[in-house]
Amino acid sequence: MKRISRLLSDRLALLSLAVLAAIAAAGMLAPWLAPHPPDEVNMALRYGPWSLHYPLGNDQLGRCVLSRILYGIRPSVLLVLAAVLASVLIGAAVGMAAGYAGGRTDALLMRLCDVMLSFPGYVMTLAVIGVLGVGLQNILLAFILMKWAWFARIVRSSVRQIADADYVRFARTLGTGSLAILFRHILPVCVPELAVVASSSFGSTLLQVSGLSFLGLGIQAPQAEWGMMLSEARQSMFSRPELMLAPGLMIVLTVSAVNFLSDAMQQAVDPQAGSSKRHQPERAEAALIGREVA
Amino acid sequence: MKHSRNALSAIFILFLIFSSGCSDSGNEPAAEAAKQGQAREIIYASSKDINDMNPHLYSGSMPAQGMIYESLVEKTEDGIKPLLAESWDISEDGMSYTFHLRHGVTFHDGSPFNAEAVKVNIDAVQANAERHAWIKLSTKIKEVRATDEYTVQLLLDEPYYPTLLELSMTRPYVFLSPKDFINGQTKDGVAGYDGTGPYRLADQKPEQYAVFEANESYWGGAPQVKRITAKVLPSGETTLLALQKGEVNFIFTDDRGADGVDVEAMQSLVDSGRYQLLRSKPMNTKMIAANSSSTGPVHERAVRLALWHAVDRETIAGQILHGAESPADSLFSGNVEYADIPLAKRGYDLKHAAELLEDAGWKLENGGETRVKNGRQLALKLYYDAASSSQKTEAELIQSAAKTIGMKLELIGEQSSSVAARRASGDYDLLFNQTWGLAYDPQSTVSAFTAESSYAHTTGGIEGVEELYAKIGQVTGTRDEEKRKALYKEILTTVHDEAVFIPITHGSMAVLAPNDLEGVAFKQTQFELPFELMHFK
Amino acid sequence: MIRYAARRLLTAVLLLLVISFLAFLLQQLAPVDPAEAVLHAQGVPQVTSELIAQKKAELGLDRPLLRQYASWLASSVQLDFGLSYVTGKPVWSLLGPAFMHTLQLTAVSAAAIILLSVALGVYCALREDAWPDRATRGAAFLLTAMPPYWLAAWLVWLFSVKLDLLPTSGMDSAASFVLPTAVLAVGYAGVYFRVIRSSMIAGRNEDYVLYGRANGLTERAITRRVLANSLQVAVPMFGMAVPILLGSTVVVENVFAWPGLGTLSVKAILGRDYPVIQAFVLLLASSFVVFNAVSEVLSGLLNPRLRKDL
Repeated sequence: MKRISRLLSDRLALLSLAVLAAIAAAGMLAPWLAPHPPDEVNMALRYGPWSLHYPLGNDQLGRCVLSRILYGIRPSVLLVLAAVLASVLIGAAVGMAAGYAGGRTDALLMRLCDVMLSFPGYVMTLAVIGVLGVGLQNILLAFILMKWAWFARIVRSSVRQIADADYVRFARTLGTGSLAILFRHILPVCVPELAVVASSSFGSTLLQVSGLSFLGLGIQAPQAEWGMMLSEARQSMFSRPELMLAPGLMIVLTVSAVNFLSDAMQQAVDPQAGSSKRHQPERAEAALIGREVA
Repeated sequence: MKHSRNALSAIFILFLIFSSGCSDSGNEPAAEAAKQGQAREIIYASSKDINDMNPHLYSGSMPAQGMIYESLVEKTEDGIKPLLAESWDISEDGMSYTFHLRHGVTFHDGSPFNAEAVKVNIDAVQANAERHAWIKLSTKIKEVRATDEYTVQLLLDEPYYPTLLELSMTRPYVFLSPKDFINGQTKDGVAGYDGTGPYRLADQKPEQYAVFEANESYWGGAPQVKRITAKVLPSGETTLLALQKGEVNFIFTDDRGADGVDVEAMQSLVDSGRYQLLRSKPMNTKMIAANSSSTGPVHERAVRLALWHAVDRETIAGQILHGAESPADSLFSGNVEYADIPLAKRGYDLKHAAELLEDAGWKLENGGETRVKNGRQLALKLYYDAASSSQKTEAELIQSAAKTIGMKLELIGEQSSSVAARRASGDYDLLFNQTWGLAYDPQSTVSAFTAESSYAHTTGGIEGVEELYAKIGQVTGTRDEEKRKALYKEILTTVHDEAVFIPITHGSMAVLAPNDLEGVAFKQTQFELPFELMHFK
Repeated sequence: MIRYAARRLLTAVLLLLVISFLAFLLQQLAPVDPAEAVLHAQGVPQVTSELIAQKKAELGLDRPLLRQYASWLASSVQLDFGLSYVTGKPVWSLLGPAFMHTLQLTAVSAAAIILLSVALGVYCALREDAWPDRATRGAAFLLTAMPPYWLAAWLVWLFSVKLDLLPTSGMDSAASFVLPTAVLAVGYAGVYFRVIRSSMIAGRNEDYVLYGRANGLTERAITRRVLANSLQVAVPMFGMAVPILLGSTVVVENVFAWPGLGTLSVKAILGRDYPVIQAFVLLLASSFVVFNAVSEVLSGLLNPRLRKDL
């Protein structure tokens, strides 16, 4: 609880959280917020300028850019978030199983993690869409396939540390069931670290997914997605540079907010990290090192 | 981080670091530009590598092959003209062609072009006949005889009226130095790319560039532009930027019909005053090929007809293509030989399209968006060329119109090679395509209706297909002009009625070239450009 | 030590075997029949079932899976990955040069990233919380939140079109490296410099620093020691960055038309050229494993404390 209150006392973190919540809400409420259907083609309004009816103008098919930005939140942000959560859950389950069971199961599961982690992110993604075909769902699938191992490792190492701690041993001798120990003692310890790593990888995944959509490997028309909107806007970057702005800035805004929040959580979890006196760099910046940025 | 107003100045600092750290290498483009200034060359952008220049196979870039290799005869606006053959005689029965070859022509490697070279080349093509089934001449050639040093006799099994036309094509009946053959063949690769054409391949870096140098001993006189470079660039913005910067100075509609840059962007380059945009007369028809052999909804004529009515050709031609192309109402435009026939015009009419679907039993069920029949959704996959700047926009327009009539189109962008592979294997519902254009329309395109590697899946599922194929088989052997006309009329009417080729626009070839390049012209085919005629002021 | 290295390399080999098997399975999972695809690639117009069966036998596709894998692995080790479905050329003739181009870009970018992160890290650590530190961190924050392709588009517009300083795309001269490297470096250095910075800051408060100061060492000498210590942390980090970088040039390569693996792989995916995709995956995953193993062994050599128990 101390950590949460520390987190909430950071105004910037609070602001980031508010921005993200607003974006997520806008995405979920897109059908009510969007002034027009996102795929309503109207060639008469091709490349229309900003106006009262179309606050962000119209694209090459006369579709409302604002509506597309709003609907674009769903694949660009919400689905990515769902994928991150899914991989955290899978990772946590596997990590706990491994850490708790120990022995052969542990060794086997950890070798499996090694294999998954030995594929660089993009390569794994390209392999999956190479086989299953282009599409957002395949990118996200690849992402889950790969990232769970990352989380599994984190959870497993916390479990191994804690499982031997005296209070857990004590609980066990008192006859507390494994599951209860898991939930009461072990889970609360890993959650903060998971949150840090998950949020950090959420930011980088947002960028990766939009990058793949930009290359035409992600979502397919007519769905709106920020990366694809940018790729369409790039076709007319010279005559209509303004079309590059909205989706690009939305990505910058979202990723910044996520990164801010991730850093703030990092500080809340490990208050010595960052700029103050004593410091263990290995642990503090572990999340950063794992980021695949470009 | 709270001082985000400092962010901008910090970005600036970062930029300074980059630009100062790398200033040593920054001078090279200037040097390059200076070099360009001395001897002007053409550097054209191409979204694909020129690939295999073996003229007897099909993976190479046709415009590049067109520079290196030549055929016996050439198709011009005024009909068939001499090229490597100075003259020819055709026997009374139409089964024997005698060519008198041009003297003093040599291949790029110095070996002489003579009757023997013609014979071994045509034999090499025939040895791989299966591969060339689309060109019907390959199934009619019985024998090639070199009667003397400069005379060749071509014997056919039966009369075939487009013989000369098919001999004029970019491939496969063009000539490679016999020294480049491997074991007397070309089908498993060749040792070099020595043709007789105005340019020879000087350098090729796969996936980067290829350099063609003028053939100084070209029989038609050495070309004036001494160097042509084909640079591999992704289409769209990258190409546009490179054009603006002068890293490339020439683009043209590629052999798959894709323009590297959209019409508006090309126009803006023209407005900048450094470029000229030239357009050929209409050369082909851009269309959607519908897989009638499919087991899906597209097998139904009504579905294809409905889609036909859902294509807003006026808007595509006028807005997306800025009037550069004209709406097409039939597979071939009326000025194509044998194609000036009365065919029902089917305009953009969503209401009628919806009625057609309704009548065929495709119903909208309880508020659904997509029509259903026998528990099956009216959902089709439409493949487009990811390198084409206009196809995706056109596809999205059609998709949104189709949606209003309860037809769901799923759009999938792929490389043109993959789209072509789908056409051959039948793994598609709908795909963007174009007729083969001038010199090939209608006879080769129509022959291709039956060819597995082309449109066999497109035409295979229509009613009375055997009869159609039989007519296609007959038409080229028919020596009576009137009968031929009648047969073509029946063939074209059938495919029109069945709506397996859904026409969009009559396409032309575009060339964007430097302002001071003169002599830019087109050939009677969309697959080649006459670079040898071009010169800088 | 030798035993440690041997064990580390043995695991790497085992991992490589598993990876190669997964890469091999890719082709099995692909929705296209390899025999049919090869026939189409060779332009055979009439693909009959007999032809397919014949081709299958020719390609050895009718054998049991494990035997196929063994022979595929044997030829892969000799860089024979079969023929591309699209161009009909040997896959390695496409992949080899592309791999070299990507390696070049990666090497230059890695150098830029290391220089930039160390320079910025030291610079900011020495001015902890003063405005240059805050500004740099703010800028880095924004730049790392930008989609690389978006940043690239603006950089090209500014430096190539407006200022006419650099080529827009391709790999023609040394100048061609500047923009792709800049985009890649900004993304990574923006993260890594913070690691150096915070470890420097932490290091300055260590006991040995106090001791050194008490003994009259100059600030310069102290900074040098602290940096040397921080670099111990940074070396494995940079070691990891290289293989990650190798796999993440995809977007940047495509934007700048870099003739490397990223461009090739996207083309292969959009062209459904499975042998190329498969070889690409195998090649990159293997380099990733090999690089990691070597760098771990090396850093174990340098610093025995870092040896991971296996």
